[in-house]
Amino acid sequence: MTLKECYESIGADFDAAVARMCNKEAMLLKFALKFPADPTYPALVEAYEGGDIPTAFRMAHTLKGLCLNLGLDKLRESSAALTEALRDNANPAPNADELYEEVKRDYEATRSALGSVEA
Amino acid sequence: MAMERILIVDDSEMNREILTDMLGGEYEILEACNGKEAITLLNKRSTEISLVLLDMVMPEMNGIEVLDVMKKNSWLTDTPVIMISADDSADTIHKAYELGVTEFIHRPFDDLIVRRRCQNVINLYAKQRKLMGLFADQFYEREKESKMMIDILAHIVEFRNNECGMHVVNVQTYTNILAEAMAEKTDKYGLTPEKISLITKTAALHDVGKICIPDAVLNKPGRLTDEEFAIMKSHSAVGSEMLNDLPFHKNEPLVKMAYAVARWHHERWDGRGYPDRLVGDDIPIEAQLVSLADVYDALTAERCYKKAFSHATALEMITKGECGQFNPLLIECLNERAEQMRLVKEGGADLNAEYDVREFAKELLKSDALYSSDRLLHLLEYEKMKSRFFEGITGGCSFEYNAESKMLTISENAAKVLGVEETIIDPVHSEQLIGVFGQEKLRELSAAFRSLPPENPIVQFNFHEVEGEPKLFRITDSSETNIQTPANTKYTTYKLVCRATFTIAEPQRYTGVIGKLVPLESEYGIMKGANIGDLKGML
Repeated sequence: MTLKECYESIGADFDAAVARMCNKEAMLLKFALKFPADPTYPALVEAYEGGDIPTAFRMAHTLKGLCLNLGLDKLRESSAALTEALRDNANPAPNADELYEEVKRDYEATRSALGSVEA
Repeated sequence: MAMERILIVDDSEMNREILTDMLGGEYEILEACNGKEAITLLNKRSTEISLVLLDMVMPEMNGIEVLDVMKKNSWLTDTPVIMISADDSADTIHKAYELGVTEFIHRPFDDLIVRRRCQNVINLYAKQRKLMGLFADQFYEREKESKMMIDILAHIVEFRNNECGMHVVNVQTYTNILAEAMAEKTDKYGLTPEKISLITKTAALHDVGKICIPDAVLNKPGRLTDEEFAIMKSHSAVGSEMLNDLPFHKNEPLVKMAYAVARWHHERWDGRGYPDRLVGDDIPIEAQLVSLADVYDALTAERCYKKAFSHATALEMITKGECGQFNPLLIECLNERAEQMRLVKEGGADLNAEYDVREFAKELLKSDALYSSDRLLHLLEYEKMKSRFFEGITGGCSFEYNAESKMLTISENAAKVLGVEETIIDPVHSEQLIGVFGQEKLRELSAAFRSLPPENPIVQFNFHEVEGEPKLFRITDSSETNIQTPANTKYTTYKLVCRATFTIAEPQRYTGVIGKLVPLESEYGIMKGANIGDLKGML
């Protein structure tokens, strides 16, 4: 499928994302296709599951930033929620585990959708 | 024109890539993946970087910490920072503005907004820098011209005197030396750097009245008759009247001071001078200073009616009151700065050149705006490049510590020898350095540096590096000459020579330390240290 169809399938605003890249669709395509290989998410998983909350916070924060720019709205929402839950490194919010699972679900959905985009 | 450089600091590679894609066509992009890397880069080339795009949340050092270091190093005056953040908490934004960021870009950032903001900020700073450069040039030119005019005028007077013209220059230099000594001693005369600069300038005009003294008297070889001497003595009153009769500028501080210097530079502390027989501190300090400088130069120079006295004789004659009484405090100043005066007497014009440079430096320091002018920055850059180049050739190991920003910069070679990074923030608590020197020795070093007085700012240490423990350097007492080493142990000894640095402005404050590591002895046993060191230095 095309990138536009992919974005629609995961509830992301394609037009807004392209507009931010000065309507250069090729540029958005380039970065969207790179996203599944970006090391931020694996680093988040490793840190969170290893109990390294400060690093998990930073990675969630970076992930949120990337999603903001790429217009990956659903993953952006869940990673933003996780970021806030982990902001106080010493006292993560009680629902952090749930939010983390949500990020995982959204990430997998995003990745598999992007995987079916034809370059 | 060369492309402007933008430094992108972000821990996410993809973020850096997106920004690079947006800006890469128009700018040369440098990247740093955390705060520490950014500081290292800025420390090396802050003047070459036109803008920093800074992420907030990063490992090693976050954005706020980077800003803090930039502020303490005064890099923010020339290198603007745009902060990029998805963090909208008002606290962080306030903090960043307080520390001096120019702009904020919120995520998601938009291609057009990023490019426009970067362009605007760079233009703003470029314009500001250009204006500051223009201002500095103008200021310098003006200053130079006004000094030149005074010098020309003074030399016209001298010219009639058939003297080589050094008198005016010397009196200015001596006046400056004495004024600075007096300023250190007491603040009762209000000798600020500005006032000293003005006194030094007007000292050139002390004999302006001689223009009205007939040639026959002025250049008479041998003794003057009483009548002739009376004519000669009139030059101080005549000079002051000339200045007083100026149809313009009469109320300018420079003219007022020139009046005092011209009129009263032959007054004496006990009231036995001329023309007004003023006593003690009724004689303005500027006239007192010039009068002693004038006497010292008259004694030590050859004149048509006398031979030159030696420095020592001149000093003795003045102290004994053979040339009239001077302010006892002023005599103290003369004796304290005797060596400096002697050097000027013997060095002549060379030291006057130095005086000019010092004068310029002082003027520059007076104004914060000028401090960062391009000219100065480029000079600094050039000096840095030069020392890096020579270090590279000689394999020298040096370091520089800035106490204000707590930043230690180590030369490439030294960093390699010690196995540490080239830029270290807060070295006393740095784990890398603690690993090399040990906590206790580091504290000892730091305390030793801080206790150095400005008049004796140099300290030396010996280190030796024992084989098998290449990172362990032991500091031994600098007075210890024979270093005991176990038999068959390979080691290298280094001498660490350090100098504390201080502010130029009084009172002098400790600002950090610079130092160099010199290899002294190596291989087995003890060799003639200095020779080996010299040889190594030449390789």
